[in-house]
Amino acid sequence: MPFFRPLVTGLLLAAPAVLVAEDAPPLHQQIDTLIETKLPDFSKHAAPVCSDAEFLRRVTLDLAATIPSLRQTQEFLSNKAASKNKRRDLVTGLLESPRHAFRMQYLLDWILMENREGETVPSAEWQAYLRNSVAANKPWDALAQEILVADGAKKQERAPARFYLDRNFDMTVVTRDVGRVFLGVDLECAQCHNHPAVEAYKQQHYHGLNAFLQRSYLFTDPKSKAKSLGEKAEGDVTFTSVFDDSKGKTAPRILDLPEKTDPKDTLKQYITKPTKTARGVPKYSRRKQLGVAMIAPENIDFRLNIANRLWAAVMGRGLVEPLDLRHSANPASHPELLTVLGNALHEHKYDMRWFLGELVLTQTYQRSLPAKDDPELARQYFAAGLLKPLSPEQYAWATMQATGRLDIVRKEVVARLTMPEKVKAKDAPKKEQPKADKAKGSGESKPPTEKQIQEAIRKAVDSDVKTFVKAFATQGGQTTRFSATAPQALFLANGSLLQNWLKPAANNLLARVTGLKTGPEVAEELYMSILNRPPLEMEQMEVVDYLKNTKSRDSALRELAQALLLSAEFRFNH
Amino acid sequence: MKRDQGCHQTDHDVSRRAFLATGAAAGMLGLTAPATAQVLKKKQKRVLQLYLQGGVSQLESWDPKPGTKHGGPFRAIPTSVPGMHISELLPHTAQRMHLLSVVRSINLKTNSHHDGRLFMEMGRRSGEFPYVGSVASRYLTPENAPLPGYLHITTRGLTDNTNAFLDARHAQMKLAGPQVPNNLVRPDSLTADAARRSSDLLKRLNTRFSGRGGRKAFTDSYNASFEMAEKLMARRDLFEGDASPKDLARYGKHPFGRNCILAKTLLENGATVVKVTHHGYDTHAENFNFHLEQLGEFDKTFCMLLDDLHVSGMLDSTLVMIMSEFGRTPKINVRYGRDHWGTAWSIALGGQGLVPGAIIGATNKEGTAVSKREVDGGHLFHTYFQALGLDSSSNHELGGRVVPIGDPAKTPIKELLA
Repeated sequence: MPFFRPLVTGLLLAAPAVLVAEDAPPLHQQIDTLIETKLPDFSKHAAPVCSDAEFLRRVTLDLAATIPSLRQTQEFLSNKAASKNKRRDLVTGLLESPRHAFRMQYLLDWILMENREGETVPSAEWQAYLRNSVAANKPWDALAQEILVADGAKKQERAPARFYLDRNFDMTVVTRDVGRVFLGVDLECAQCHNHPAVEAYKQQHYHGLNAFLQRSYLFTDPKSKAKSLGEKAEGDVTFTSVFDDSKGKTAPRILDLPEKTDPKDTLKQYITKPTKTARGVPKYSRRKQLGVAMIAPENIDFRLNIANRLWAAVMGRGLVEPLDLRHSANPASHPELLTVLGNALHEHKYDMRWFLGELVLTQTYQRSLPAKDDPELARQYFAAGLLKPLSPEQYAWATMQATGRLDIVRKEVVARLTMPEKVKAKDAPKKEQPKADKAKGSGESKPPTEKQIQEAIRKAVDSDVKTFVKAFATQGGQTTRFSATAPQALFLANGSLLQNWLKPAANNLLARVTGLKTGPEVAEELYMSILNRPPLEMEQMEVVDYLKNTKSRDSALRELAQALLLSAEFRFNH
Repeated sequence: MKRDQGCHQTDHDVSRRAFLATGAAAGMLGLTAPATAQVLKKKQKRVLQLYLQGGVSQLESWDPKPGTKHGGPFRAIPTSVPGMHISELLPHTAQRMHLLSVVRSINLKTNSHHDGRLFMEMGRRSGEFPYVGSVASRYLTPENAPLPGYLHITTRGLTDNTNAFLDARHAQMKLAGPQVPNNLVRPDSLTADAARRSSDLLKRLNTRFSGRGGRKAFTDSYNASFEMAEKLMARRDLFEGDASPKDLARYGKHPFGRNCILAKTLLENGATVVKVTHHGYDTHAENFNFHLEQLGEFDKTFCMLLDDLHVSGMLDSTLVMIMSEFGRTPKINVRYGRDHWGTAWSIALGGQGLVPGAIIGATNKEGTAVSKREVDGGHLFHTYFQALGLDSSSNHELGGRVVPIGDPAKTPIKELLA
């Protein structure tokens, strides 16, 4: 067996022992210490902690996928409690809110599926699976294992199998994406030869992962035409370099971890032998072993990957960038920190909710935007806040929140949910009510819970969120880069969705500003609703002048709202 | 320069002489470019892709085998390049082959529409890489371009991830034909004055926000998307109104004719990459009738577009390619159809950076295998970009990620490069 250079050398050993001790300070303090000690004279270069208004918008987007409502903004800004305490309470509340499950559903969907369009497993089923997993705070390792071993044969396993099935179980795509999504390494170019540009990526690494999957295949049931994964109990991976014809052979293995040889007497041993009409099920499944090997404690790359991805989601830049390209020549900007984060996640049983809570409590997360001196230095050392483009889902929810569309939907939803059972049954499409529901409906109808309301709102706006996803989704490319297109700008400037939300209706934004008397009042309402901050004096004057100089007040109000909604300040999280 | 004449069949009625110089061949048709060709237009390099969706039959187009076992009913006809024959279904194109070259030896080793299309577009058999159009857009689109870099005129709505890891502004912008694109028209609720006022305010807001720090590249890209949107809105005229009667008479009034007129208009007005998809070549049944019909529509229309580019002097700086995801089986099935065939088929290409009038590679007598100079999507991809003056063996530099532009295991077809 040739010697292969490890991908990440000795990072675990480099972690200071004191940080994992029982009396270690909370993770958020450890993070700040490690960030600050990385750059000499850190405090000289560091931007100050952001204002309450900045923090409120930033953290609400990051944890709840939307901007705060006007009321939440007013309450938070007028709350006289110590800033530190009210920020902590806000974070606790957001993490417990039903909206947090939506945010994590969207984030995990992007990490795992990268906006793929396949519908072998209906995306609604998949989204519900993710949402329910997050709502139950399912640990990342458990979720990863479910996804990696799923075959999609049983109905309850259908959803997690989407990772494989909607990649059509294309062997090169699934092998590559297991590496990228779960380990943070992109071995694409190492399929046919050692990576030409990345010395640490060897052909062996690609084929070691491939060996877990290579016996599996896409099985289409001849009757139902349903697709699932079958697996054979034979077949080994050999490979040849297209550059120098050197040959290799490997059993399943994760990167530089030892090979996993098959147990004795499992070759060609089946529970169900694969035929044209029967899905092959081996006695010993290599793909099941992938789920085991992936989350095993010795697989350090697994924890570093998810730590880096969650860090990038809230901090705006991964410790490793691109997120799927960690190797010895492209190490983390803060290797020690990444190790601490990975280990902390591992020790906390991959509790993503706890982890995100710690991240947003750091000073590092709470720095304001403009760099104090050199912006490049600030970026590299996390010495200032970073602009983050809103994800398509955040963008949709934020726009609906700002325009008041969500208030209208909420009203409709609450009315529907509190409707007496009899009326509800009459209104509902003719469908047999389940017995349990009938029994429940016998007494006085209870007011709906916030969770029920939020779930009903989510359903009601789902198609609008999808419209945004269609317009703004980026596919593949796991980085925090950003690029905007002309069709997107046209969608924002001229599209009917936004235009409709900008028509005065019920108690929405345009209806509210139409009812206001003075220019400064209008400015306050617009800025607080859309940008979640009061206008500066100059901005207030700008609004006043705009209203004064425009003949039609209705049109002026609409124009002002549209400009603020289309502004870069709204488009980004900052 | 070594060229391959490619014709080894006995029933061709033109003797297999050496090539005439291209200029002489062009002279025969009176299509020499006027000396007044606009210098500016010549400077920018462009790409015109004609995508014959479904898989055009090489035997009914670029590599006819009349009188052989699988040859089918159509004849081969001589072209403006002495010794070169193509199918009689392309009589107009035949008269312009001195402007184009043919590659007859493509073996993709796949018969899947999806895999074939991706291989031909990405230059890679698998993985997620940017399409030819997105790569060309990234390297050829000038900073102040009046139109988005990569425009795709197609009547069907497949969503391709064309830009992969490249910036989103290099993704294809789809156009459904000569009609105003979605959201290009200001809504009725917004008067022209109101839109201008709101847009002016937006610019002021964005300038102030950019000054606050953060990531300049992000805010720049965001602001640029609105500038491009405004440019597009200002050029609404490109998409609406009927084409001139003269053009309609020349190109044809069918959708493909109108789409090619639009392609010409876009190229003349600063587009970098224009792809036009001509649908309907997946002829599992009635291959011969369908090709008669399809290529009948394609042939003259394409030639009018080629002529217009040539006469205006733009052809020299425009890479033109006529491609599919694969060809069609030599074997004719029971429904008089030909099936998917990535094993031995052809494309035609010409213009910027390419030797015209050449035949690269060959298939065997019955067209069942490549007999000479086998190439695949990887070689073609390198060839396109070398022709465009790009070193396709270098890397995309993407902020920490380095990706070879072309497959490092493949090389360009050198003998095709001018």
